[in-house]
Amino acid sequence: MSDGHTEHATKTDITRRAALVGLGVAAAGYVAFGPTPRDKVPSGRIVLDYWEKWTGSEGLAMRRLVDRFNQSQTDIFVRYLTIGSIDQKAMIAIAGGSPPDIVGLWSFNIPAFAEAGALLPLDELARSKGLSPDRYARAVWPMMTHRDQLWSMVSTCGTVALYINDDKLSEAGITDSPAPTTLEELDELSEALTVRRSSGDIESVGFIHTDPGWWSWLWGYHFGGNLLDIDTNSATANSEANVRAYEWVQSYPSRMGSRDLLKFQSGLGYYGTAQAPFLTGKVAMQIQGPWMANLIEAFDPDLNYRAIPMPTTRAQLDQESPVGLIDGDLMVIPAGAKNPEASFEFIAWMQQRTQIEELAQAHGKISPLRETTAEFLATHPNRSISTHAAIADSPRAFGFPKTRVWPRYVSEFDAAFQRIWLQETDPASALTLVNERAQFALDEAADRRHRRGR
Amino acid sequence: MSRDRIQREPLRQRLAGLVWVSPWLLGLLFFFAIPMGMSMYYSMTEYTMLEPPLWIGAENYTSLLSDPVFIKTIWNTLVYAGFVIPLSIVLALAIAGLLDTDSRVSHIVRLMVFAPTVVPLVASAMIWLWLFNGDNGLINSALSIFGINGPNWLHERGFAMAALIVMSLWSIGQPVVIYLAALQDVPKHLYEAGSLDGMGPIRKFVHVAMPSIAPAVFFNSIIQTITAWQIFAAPYIMTEGGPDRSTYFYSHYLYDNAFLYQRMGYASAMAWVQLVLISVCILGIYAITRKLWSTRS
Repeated sequence: MSDGHTEHATKTDITRRAALVGLGVAAAGYVAFGPTPRDKVPSGRIVLDYWEKWTGSEGLAMRRLVDRFNQSQTDIFVRYLTIGSIDQKAMIAIAGGSPPDIVGLWSFNIPAFAEAGALLPLDELARSKGLSPDRYARAVWPMMTHRDQLWSMVSTCGTVALYINDDKLSEAGITDSPAPTTLEELDELSEALTVRRSSGDIESVGFIHTDPGWWSWLWGYHFGGNLLDIDTNSATANSEANVRAYEWVQSYPSRMGSRDLLKFQSGLGYYGTAQAPFLTGKVAMQIQGPWMANLIEAFDPDLNYRAIPMPTTRAQLDQESPVGLIDGDLMVIPAGAKNPEASFEFIAWMQQRTQIEELAQAHGKISPLRETTAEFLATHPNRSISTHAAIADSPRAFGFPKTRVWPRYVSEFDAAFQRIWLQETDPASALTLVNERAQFALDEAADRRHRRGR
Repeated sequence: MSRDRIQREPLRQRLAGLVWVSPWLLGLLFFFAIPMGMSMYYSMTEYTMLEPPLWIGAENYTSLLSDPVFIKTIWNTLVYAGFVIPLSIVLALAIAGLLDTDSRVSHIVRLMVFAPTVVPLVASAMIWLWLFNGDNGLINSALSIFGINGPNWLHERGFAMAALIVMSLWSIGQPVVIYLAALQDVPKHLYEAGSLDGMGPIRKFVHVAMPSIAPAVFFNSIIQTITAWQIFAAPYIMTEGGPDRSTYFYSHYLYDNAFLYQRMGYASAMAWVQLVLISVCILGIYAITRKLWSTRS
């Protein structure tokens, strides 16, 4: 028995030793060949973690600026990290009590994060650096605020305009037609550019509301409508202007045939590829942001195009103050960040014209500043950048409705839009349903805010 | 060996055993028991994740009852499960029955049937997106040979659900393998007895094989039920829940509430309701199966 016991013990010893050696080898291998941090942090500096959403050339452009900031500094070092689904990850990091120092959110995130107390107000810090509303294009400062407080600073922004593929116009023999300014003119031009195959299927269209289909909710603004009365916390989805807008939207599937349009839509390529419908000529006109120039440059640099403000109704027509959506990427300092002053040092540095214009050019976007250099406009990759800039400076530019329940609101809107597009309902009924559900969400949020004593 | 040592030995062995299973026990505690307890608590709160939870009692549960989107997602999930579970059982059994031979061709076909199971879900969703393309997809091109003008599979209300059901049947390899293994365990002499009684291949399959593989069918039904209730990735990629929420499923709505709408409390309540619904379905399957077995015996 004792022999057996000794044998057993020996076997155990050998196994343990082997396991330890194995672990040691693995650890040594990890140290020798494992991942190494890209950023070597110089000693004695405050290290800031900056989470941003960009990848590819857009990410590289930001990284260049971060590197330049780090070189110019003796006190602060910014560590740049590209993060996917950044709003969700930031939410989890803040909830877990370990937020990064700076986060690049989307403009529609601001109300939810600000109302939850997850962001640091920046009014004082901005004032201390001389950053004030008059420095920015008219629609930019409101985008960074919520309920009269400043919660973010812009890194890049863009406005939405109507892109026209002039090659398609030439193909159709339309060479000297002025750009459409009213919806009637847009409809007429769209009709002239729509081509059907001998089978009756649609080959290409002039304009449809579903390409790219990212903003199903914005059409009412071009009829003088909006979606939220922030003072009364009321949804206004079924206002008369919005109903008229979606009647106009529905006139497209009515005219072209819902089923034909669906078939056509299902054959369209994806944005961001060479098969993007605007590039292939499948859709001759579409609403897009200034970043479209980068797509054109990448896949079809010889394409003749221009961008104009999205046409409005005749009653809304005022070419001096175009109507259009403004959206932006905003830098925020999460509540609980360890070095807010140092974080704002970087953010303020990014607000300087040199940095902000360089980033805007790399991203194919507008400068958020009121005054831009002549060189910025002259060398910008988007030949219609001044159209986008004019929208940003227009009193009729609009942003995402400022409510924390916007994701619920827009989900309802997307579903209603599909019913309208499929001609399964009339716009008035669809929008009334959206309004009811959005109002329920708004009331619920207000009630919870009240219960939290805010 | 001293008396003391004999007494100490079982205790030491027990401690050693506990140490060895402690990683699993700790995992169960920290990654299962505590999160489940927390999610039960959160389901009674309004919890945005960015703010501390606000106790609201059973309000999330009562709100679910009057939430039309919640009802819609339950209906969609039931329709999907109602088609996918029986169809996958019948189809997998049929394929397993056909493959229950030892020929070389059968081995190759087995591989072909199982292959889709190992394809990442995102990749297979992208393939099916193209197959279902209404304008130039392979399915509609094939239909056009017969003069049929195929639908816009993923953009039309009735067809989008059908497309997802068809796609789910593509990755049927796992139940086929289980049925095949069960079929190969059926004693040969039972088939021989069936032959002596004058049974054909179909009657032998129904009356000899089926009773023997009933436990495998039961197991697969349960797995299929759970999988159907949790369907998420394919519709998320292929239809985004559309058109007009006709393919908006329970788990997708739960995810949206948790991470898009910042309603983690509401999502937690949904998760608990989902657990109850799945349990009810499984109990239903169990009751039916037991009744069938008792009738047979």
